[in-house]
Formats: sequence, structure tokens, C-alpha cells
Amino acid sequence: MEGQEGPPRVCRDDAPKLLAALKEMKEGLDHVRGKVEALTRKVKKNQLPTSCGIGYLEAKHHLLLSYCQDIVYYLLRKAKGLSVDGHPVVRSLVEIRLFLEKIRPIDKKMEYQIQKLTNAADGAATQEKVLNAETKNKGRHQDDEDPLKYRPNPDMMDTKSDPAGQDNDGIYRPPKFMPATMDDDDKRLKQASRRDKALTRMATENPYIKEIIDDAADRPEEWKETAGDESREFTKYIRLREKQEKQEEELFTRAPLTKRDKQTEKRMRTQLHGLRGLTDGFDLGMNMLLDGDKDNDVGSREPHVKSGGRRKHQKGGNKRKRH
Amino acid sequence: MADTKTAPAVTLRTRKFMTNRLLSRKQFVLEVLHPGRANVSKADLKDKLAKMYEVKDSNCIFVFKFRTHFGGGKTTGFGLIYDNVEAAKKYEPKYRLIRVRSFCLLAYGLVSKFGSLGLISC
Repeated sequence: MEGQEGPPRVCRDDAPKLLAALKEMKEGLDHVRGKVEALTRKVKKNQLPTSCGIGYLEAKHHLLLSYCQDIVYYLLRKAKGLSVDGHPVVRSLVEIRLFLEKIRPIDKKMEYQIQKLTNAADGAATQEKVLNAETKNKGRHQDDEDPLKYRPNPDMMDTKSDPAGQDNDGIYRPPKFMPATMDDDDKRLKQASRRDKALTRMATENPYIKEIIDDAADRPEEWKETAGDESREFTKYIRLREKQEKQEEELFTRAPLTKRDKQTEKRMRTQLHGLRGLTDGFDLGMNMLLDGDKDNDVGSREPHVKSGGRRKHQKGGNKRKRH
Repeated sequence: MADTKTAPAVTLRTRKFMTNRLLSRKQFVLEVLHPGRANVSKADLKDKLAKMYEVKDSNCIFVFKFRTHFGGGKTTGFGLIYDNVEAAKKYEPKYRLIRVRSFCLLAYGLVSKFGSLGLISC
């Protein structure tokens, strides 16, 4: 019972909307028909050559026309009360709609080119008419064309530098736009904060200094149990190796093993006692203790080790010093 | 000292498994866990892989570039499983084919690892 009442009520609600939609459709179709008739008349009189047109636009016209036909047929069936379920017209409607949606981005991209071409074609066609009409049309088209004149125009390039203000000694001086402050405070503050951070890091990580500080602060002694090698050298080596392994797996290749790598590996393997990390913070700690009063940038860098080895690879290092 | 029979089992794990359709093969990173014993031989690994991936011909399996991690117990390398022996002969580099003896007796005419080097250079 309810079901029977349902459809008529829906129909009554939808009726004004349906009427409006139908009216719009009829207007649109009349408009299209008028245009198409005008065009066909021109073609019949051989005024409009239709060969060598833009193939893309032709295809679009065909699609739109068949879409219109399908819509009209669909509405006809609905109006006559015939069922539309499973009829091929629905499928073709959906297909054409899909195509039109897909064409839309292509349309947007081609819009500029198509405009130019059609304007050029129009311009060429009007050249056959009277001279006055020709100039009038050209004038009108040039207004349209100004936004279409998108080809690169070197005359429009904006030289930001003032040509009068440049010294003629050939040196490029950059133009001054915004006031810039030369402000050293930032750098000093940053250095100070870095020094503080380095000191706190040393206090907690360096075992020698930690011991001294803990002793001074009356904290209980700390004991650490380690299994295996926990020296800085070793942990760094392991970290590097793991990173390299990950990279190698990613790229499905192996980096060749240099002689230096082989030597370090051999060293790691042979010196497997746990004593390697015993003197890890010693030199830094000693430095700080001995030069405690000097305002050095102590925490930023470890004291330079292995300088003898590095000098081997510099080109003519000793010889350079003589000059 | 330990017998191979009583040594703990060897575990194979494959990671980054990828099917390479262009070269008609499957490639992966192979992780071998062998606690308490030295490295596993490549032939053993091939047999195990053949069982794991149900490959009919273990000549299509190639494993290479193994490196043992620090401390032993784990070795990582790469593995390839070709679709068929023809694809393997076509795409594998010669030095890896030479390592598998059965290939040497086939069409190439390369006799041994050291003999072939002379043949290739001339």
C-alpha cells in the first residue's frame, strides 16, 4: 500500500524539476539545431571547406551529437513508460559520458592552441572580404589575441637593475632591495650554546669526567657491566657496517672491499678483548683538566690523532712548507 | 668439533623478494643463520632454496656475494632463481656459470675456472 502511494508522490515532487529540465534541454537542442543548419547551409554552398580540420574537434562533435541523440531517445522511452533496464542506450550514454569526462583535461590543455588556430582560420577567411570589414575584424581579433600572444617576448623582460646607477667598470653589483642587518649576536649565542651542550655531553658520556663529577657531587659510584667490545671505535665500525649493508641490499650489489677496510676488519677480529674501550675518553678528559682555565672550545672536537698518517696523502706537503 | 648432524639447524630467510619479468627471474636478498658453525656451502644453500621455492631444476638457482656479519652466525648474500635454464644461460654472467660445473660441460666448451680465463682473453 505504501509502495503504491510512493511512486505517485515522488512523481508529483519531481514534476516541476522535470519540466524545467525538459525545457532547458529543448532550448539547448533548438540552439544546436540552428547552428548546425547554418553550418550545413554554408557547407552546401561550398563556402566552408571542411577537409583538413582539427581531427580532435571533429571527434568531439561526433561524440556530443551522439550523446544528444541518446539522451533524447532515453527520455522518449521514459516518457512512454517503457522500461530502460538493460537497454543498450543506457550503456552508450554512460560510455559517451565517460569519454567526455576523459577528454576534459585534454581540452583544457589544447584550448590555447585551438583558439589560436580558429582565430587564424577566421582571419584568413575574412581576408577575402572588403577591406574595411577586414580591418574591423582584424582589430577585433587583435583584442582577443593579446592574451593569446603567449610567445616569449624579450622586449618585455624587466631589468630590475637601474641602468643609470651601474658603474661602468664592468663589475656586477647586485641590486639592493631589502635592508639587511649584520648581526653578530646570533653567532656568539650559537657558539655559547654549542659549548654548553658539548660540556654536558662530556659530563655524562666521558667516563673519566663523569667519575670526577659524580665524586664531587657525592653521588654513588656507577658500575657498568658490558659483554664484548663497547669501545667507541667498535660501535662506530658496527654502525658504519650496518649502514653499508642496508645500502648494498637496497641496490642489490656489493661495494668492493678496499685494503683499508680489510685491515680494519682484521684488526677488529683479532683484538677481541674487552679492554679496547678503557681509554676512550682519557685524552679529552686530561686536556680539560690540564687546560681547565683556558677558554678553549674544548668540547667541539677530539684532539687531532693520526696526523702522521694524513700527511702521507697530501701532495708535496713538506715541500710546500719550505716556500 | 661438532658433528654436522648434531650442529644446530641452518635457517634461510629471504628478503626484498622481487620478480624481475624483464630478465625472467626472481631476485632476493638471502640471509643465512648458522649459529655455531662456519659458513654454509653454496651447494647446500641451493638445495635448500630449491626445496623452499619448489624449483624443479636447481641449475636455475644462483647465490653469490655472501658476507658474514661480525661475530659469525649470520651471512647475507643475494640469490636469483631463473624461470628456466635457457634464461639462466642467456642472462647470467659467465663467471657465475663457470662456477656451476654442469654448465661448463654444456655448449660453452669452457673446461675449468682457470682454463677458461685463457680462452676468454684470446
